Amino acid sequence: MAADPKTRFLVVDDFSTMRRIVRNLLKELGFTNVDEAEDGAIALQKLQNGGFEFVVTDWNMPNMDGLTLLQTIRATPTLKHLPVLMITAEAKKENIIAAAQAGASGYIVKPFTAGTLSEKLNKIFEKFGQA
Amino acid sequence: MSDFSGMEDLLQDFLQEAHDLLSDVDNKLVDLEKTPDDKGLLNDIFRGFHTVKGGAGFLNASELVTLCHLTENLFDRLRNGELQLTAELMDVIMDATKGVREMFGELGQMVQPQPAESRVIAALQGALNGEMPSGAPAPVEPPPVIVPLASGAPTSAGASGEPDWNQLHEVVTGQAVKAAEGELITRAEAAPAVAAKPSATPVARADAEADSQAASPYGRRTSDRPNPQPAAARRTEERARENTIRVDTSRLDQVLNLSGEIGLTKNRLTSLRADILAGKSDSETLHALDQAVSQLDLLVSDLQNSVMKTRMQPIGRLFQKYPRIARDLARQLGKDVELVLAGEETEVDKTMIEDLADPLIHLIRNAVDHGVELPDERAAAGKPAKSLVRLEARQEGDHIVLIIADDGKGMSAERIRAKAVDKGLISEEEANTLDERQSLNLIFLPGFSTKAQVSDVSGRGVGMDVVKTNIQKLNGSVEIRSEPGKGSVFLISLPLTLAILPVLLVLLGDQPFALPLSLVREILPIDQQRIQEVGGKETMVVRGEVLPIISLARMLGWPLVRTPEYGVFMQTAERSFILSVDSFAGRDDAVIKSLEDFRPKGVAGVTTLSNGQIVLILDMKELLTDLGQHGEVGTAIRNFEFG
Repeated sequence: MAADPKTRFLVVDDFSTMRRIVRNLLKELGFTNVDEAEDGAIALQKLQNGGFEFVVTDWNMPNMDGLTLLQTIRATPTLKHLPVLMITAEAKKENIIAAAQAGASGYIVKPFTAGTLSEKLNKIFEKFGQA
Repeated sequence: MSDFSGMEDLLQDFLQEAHDLLSDVDNKLVDLEKTPDDKGLLNDIFRGFHTVKGGAGFLNASELVTLCHLTENLFDRLRNGELQLTAELMDVIMDATKGVREMFGELGQMVQPQPAESRVIAALQGALNGEMPSGAPAPVEPPPVIVPLASGAPTSAGASGEPDWNQLHEVVTGQAVKAAEGELITRAEAAPAVAAKPSATPVARADAEADSQAASPYGRRTSDRPNPQPAAARRTEERARENTIRVDTSRLDQVLNLSGEIGLTKNRLTSLRADILAGKSDSETLHALDQAVSQLDLLVSDLQNSVMKTRMQPIGRLFQKYPRIARDLARQLGKDVELVLAGEETEVDKTMIEDLADPLIHLIRNAVDHGVELPDERAAAGKPAKSLVRLEARQEGDHIVLIIADDGKGMSAERIRAKAVDKGLISEEEANTLDERQSLNLIFLPGFSTKAQVSDVSGRGVGMDVVKTNIQKLNGSVEIRSEPGKGSVFLISLPLTLAILPVLLVLLGDQPFALPLSLVREILPIDQQRIQEVGGKETMVVRGEVLPIISLARMLGWPLVRTPEYGVFMQTAERSFILSVDSFAGRDDAVIKSLEDFRPKGVAGVTTLSNGQIVLILDMKELLTDLGQHGEVGTAIRNFEFG
């Protein structure tokens, strides 16, 4: 799976400024097909309606947090192959381990630049291309 | 010079959203004092600081990140039950919240925040280390340097944490870390994130990143910070007014929809005009024209309504900050006060919300400071120890009503009159003629205060007179009701919007003038037989009340051409009187155009009538003040060129 600029992203974060930041960074990288969700529960609903190819989600959110969203995605047959990039505010090892165990495709720590995001995305695209 | 060039939009968005978050946190903190073990609340507050921290990182606001990080860690401990919430700890948290708010203020000035007070940072770190804050002076480190946080933030990546993670991950997952996951833990060199252009070169390699992270886990390094500027000087700068507004998209859609429909109707009219110009004037064409114009009429008024609605904001956004203010003040005064909010969803024009902020703060401070009693006084009066102050908003017809009510000791008309006489604000004779309502209104006089304002509490140089002036500027009015022993109520009544003013059109000769309808009580015929001279002034008795008759012509300095036949019973905050005029031209919803630089005294603005005639909207208060020394007012209006 090469980095197709038409890849449809879902950006999940309860803080709209943050959604806008991620959306802008994705745009800088040439990805313009981006939708947003305010928390895990809304994200799941959107994902179940289909059409998404990539999930970028915050960890700490009301209603349903990012980790639960990730676990639910991995437990849902129709969604479990989706790449999921976790965003979080700090690199706590127990968080990283939990994310890895739950099957996160990548993990990125705020704040990050377009460059870092691009690296992470490419790694994920490569990995999913091989699979 | 701005520290945020290229990110202004982002900064504005962040501030707006973060302000809301912080207000929410403030309210939750007040709730938390009542239920210190509420896990849900602790979680929400934790998330509030966490979210602000995340956003602040992208703005490189490292000091804000630091402060939020420490506070967030504290809440992490609290929600995990590792720490217990004590009154001292609460004070530390309140200080930290205040620090965050001040940093928002600096960000609003487009400058990077200065480090938080070292006292606050030290107290947070102390609390995290399990020591109770003692209000100890600054830590060893001089304040401008970032305090070595890693030591005080045990849950974050410590200086030694970095290299083991891949290994750890292997142990846990039982598989070697793939390349992609090996990158998991790296962290960008925290360069200006958003401003950075996409770059083909990988930003930094893992080793370098690990170093930078160990050195400064919260964002930028110390050396990246701009030269510190005197924070005090900056904070005194006048805060720029918010000039953005958040509008529900469905409301914008409605505006769009209506403007589309207006376009269609305009097309219909254009085609009808062509028909009519071509000589078609049969009843069918005229009927169609009539229909199109009626439709346009309806659509335009709908559009006006919809546009007005985009300016409407729930007043709850203003109310949010007050429970905290009331709580802090009550604590300072040794009182137990709960501020109860109601009607937060009531919508008010945005400009009005901004202008209401100060008067409301003053009235709430007043209620807490002067209104409610100390706990032992309340006990003696047989009242519950906790006092309630109620702040309520609701819409009544085309008005917004705000209520600030307390269950305190109330005001005594007697004492207020005595005080006013004492201060030389009114004479003994005047005092004797005042009824209860008028007596209570004396507290709005400049220079009046029922209590020597020793505490800086109700200070800020704002008196009740300023509260009243501010409310009147919004075309509103304030009313007081009070019952000794039971409490006081302040009722503020405001128009829905400032853009449209309902007016009464009166005529002087052929010239119409507009009077704000809010001041008009009723319209009466003036019967010359009923006019009585009192002290050389004309008066008339209306239902037992002696009212002076003031002629509009005289007020404006115009010659009295004929005997006025009609009177408008007007009531301003200070006085009631009958304004005599020649005739009426009806009522209208005036769209006020301000006269910018050229504003004659006594004129609030101008408006245009349906026939294109320009009408002055009179400012009754100014005219009344100048009555007696008129000349200036009259001349100004006489010289105004009428269209």
